Amino acid sequence: MLKLDPRTCLILLVIANVVIFIQNSAVIEIVWIGLLLVLLCICGAARSAAKLAGVFAGCMILQYIIFPIAPKAIVSIFFIFISYARKAMPCLIVGTLIMKTVSVRELTAALLKWKVPYSFIISLSVSIRYFPAIKEEIGYIRDAMKLRNIKFADKFECMIVPIMMSAAATSDELSAAAVTRGIENPCEKTSIIDIKYGIADYICIAAGILFTVLAVVIR
Amino acid sequence: MIEIKDTSFDYVKGQNTLDHVNINIGKGECVLLCGESGCGKTTVTKLINGLIPHFEENGELRGKVTVAGLDTAKAELYQLSCHVGSVFQNPKSQFFHTDAESEIVFGLENSGTDPAIIRQRLDDTVRELGISSMLGRSVFSMSGGEKQMLAFASVYAMGADIFVLDEPTANLDEGAIQLLARLIRKCKTDGKTVVIAEHRLYFLMELIDRAIYMEKGRVVREFTREQFSALTDSERISMGLRTLTKTALIPRIDHGQQNVPKGLEVRGLSFRYGKQKVFTGLDLNAGYGEIIGIIGKNGAGKSTLSRCLCGLIKESDGEILLDGKRLKDRARRKESFLVMQDVNHQLFSDSVTNECHMSSEDVSEERADHILSLLDLADFKDKHPMALSGGQKQRLAVATAILSGKKILVFDEPSSGLDYRRMESVSSMLKKIAADDRIIIVVSHDYELLNNICDRCFCVTGEKDQ
Repeated sequence: MLKLDPRTCLILLVIANVVIFIQNSAVIEIVWIGLLLVLLCICGAARSAAKLAGVFAGCMILQYIIFPIAPKAIVSIFFIFISYARKAMPCLIVGTLIMKTVSVRELTAALLKWKVPYSFIISLSVSIRYFPAIKEEIGYIRDAMKLRNIKFADKFECMIVPIMMSAAATSDELSAAAVTRGIENPCEKTSIIDIKYGIADYICIAAGILFTVLAVVIR
Repeated sequence: MIEIKDTSFDYVKGQNTLDHVNINIGKGECVLLCGESGCGKTTVTKLINGLIPHFEENGELRGKVTVAGLDTAKAELYQLSCHVGSVFQNPKSQFFHTDAESEIVFGLENSGTDPAIIRQRLDDTVRELGISSMLGRSVFSMSGGEKQMLAFASVYAMGADIFVLDEPTANLDEGAIQLLARLIRKCKTDGKTVVIAEHRLYFLMELIDRAIYMEKGRVVREFTREQFSALTDSERISMGLRTLTKTALIPRIDHGQQNVPKGLEVRGLSFRYGKQKVFTGLDLNAGYGEIIGIIGKNGAGKSTLSRCLCGLIKESDGEILLDGKRLKDRARRKESFLVMQDVNHQLFSDSVTNECHMSSEDVSEERADHILSLLDLADFKDKHPMALSGGQKQRLAVATAILSGKKILVFDEPSSGLDYRRMESVSSMLKKIAADDRIIIVVSHDYELLNNICDRCFCVTGEKDQ
């Protein structure tokens, strides 16, 4: 299974979108998305790749086969939606690649190498960590509301108040824990994750640049 | 190692959170800080790890605190963090990463240690603390006890010589407490200094060298371990301390009767998530005015059972009857209420009165007043629920349940993290509402509480244990 450097993934995320937005030829789009899907397969997420391929194929079929023969009313409703879905494909594919193959600590190490400010990296890593916590919290609050017979109109407010309260408490406790673990130390931070560019990384980035050029040239 | 000299501290002026405290702790000592909630023991831990004065900026500090040769007021927090490791009460809010390894090395990476040395320290920590099973796991798949061990491991890895633990067992069950006790013993044998502020004392009796008893911000007495363990029960209770010896469960373990005409009856209840069974064939019963306890190991399905009883989840098999009539999950939601361990999740309104009227509009003013005064909340009618103390919040949640006419009240760990007096007041509250002809079910690890309030307990054994 291929393992890309997290920095390559981040660069690809940018290039993938650039290519899709400046291209004006369906061939480039299809080949580019095809390549990204192959990359996703090689990196060990074949199942997600298959799903995304299905979605993309669905969009293409709708746009090129169904729309020309469908009633105008339906086409005008779905046309914009489908075009945007196509534009979002590369972002989804590389996003999946990052979610499936890059851990938070690798991402941190990558950003550290790019000299991104440490305070930003920590906020990022803590927010990623916070999503599952919020999900848990919402579960409890929903349970509590079910037993309290809250009126429908009040539901949103009732959800937000306890979440804000607990977020305030959590952020306070987290910062206390962070400072006692030396987060304010002004020295240069280190990471035990060793990330290095390999041949595959260079190939991916080269392919990205090639397609950007092709997208500009072929109109 | 730690010298606190004639130190006073106020969070708010004139409050005297700490009042001329003098504490000396030598290298390698293991010292317990005890006393009722609000006696100032957590504040002492903050003096040692430097959160006071660096983090609590609004407070007023007088006196001098020296830790590992550093004047805490002058040193930077990150300098102190190389010597003092802190473990806090809430296992949920001490993590910065989602996996164990990153967490353990977090402190070392912060101090810019060479990656090769960090790797070495990581290996040593994992081996010395025996936590290899935690590696490669997400923090979210860990139990409260495992999270606390991980928090401990991550300060251990930093190579601190002083460990400060602030109520580390407040959210832990028996098994997890024993794991933590093992880690403390390990630190002791390594010659580290350990300061621990706690309510639960029995697991520390073998470990501590000294106990410092505080009251209203002052150090009132110091005990050697021998003196401390020689305290009689009545002395201990008058000091407001929890039990010093491991308590045995007095209520009998029951198995449930069939066909009770009045009250709650649970027959052959099973629950599974998908194919994974949580518990099967559970029987229990409870009458009006009775308090029953539910015990069982962590992960045995106690929380699942309480959610199922309250109708928040559907049973996979079996039935739940009230007064001989079968109740489906929807109907159970009308008849029952769950008082959660974290009651902050279940208070929604902007004042105590509005909270009472929120879900039950047809309740008269007099009835609400009556229930509020029954639960000692009458003086707080106009306060914001979030401005109440933990115990008051809990009672307010109970008040809303009673006002909406719920017959079954399920309590999830109502006494976690409480000192003796607060535990007693929870017991008397439970007895009072049971006497109001309600069925009370208490899910708890706290045998001291269960011995106080119930005659019968039911044990949940999860599928995993069998």
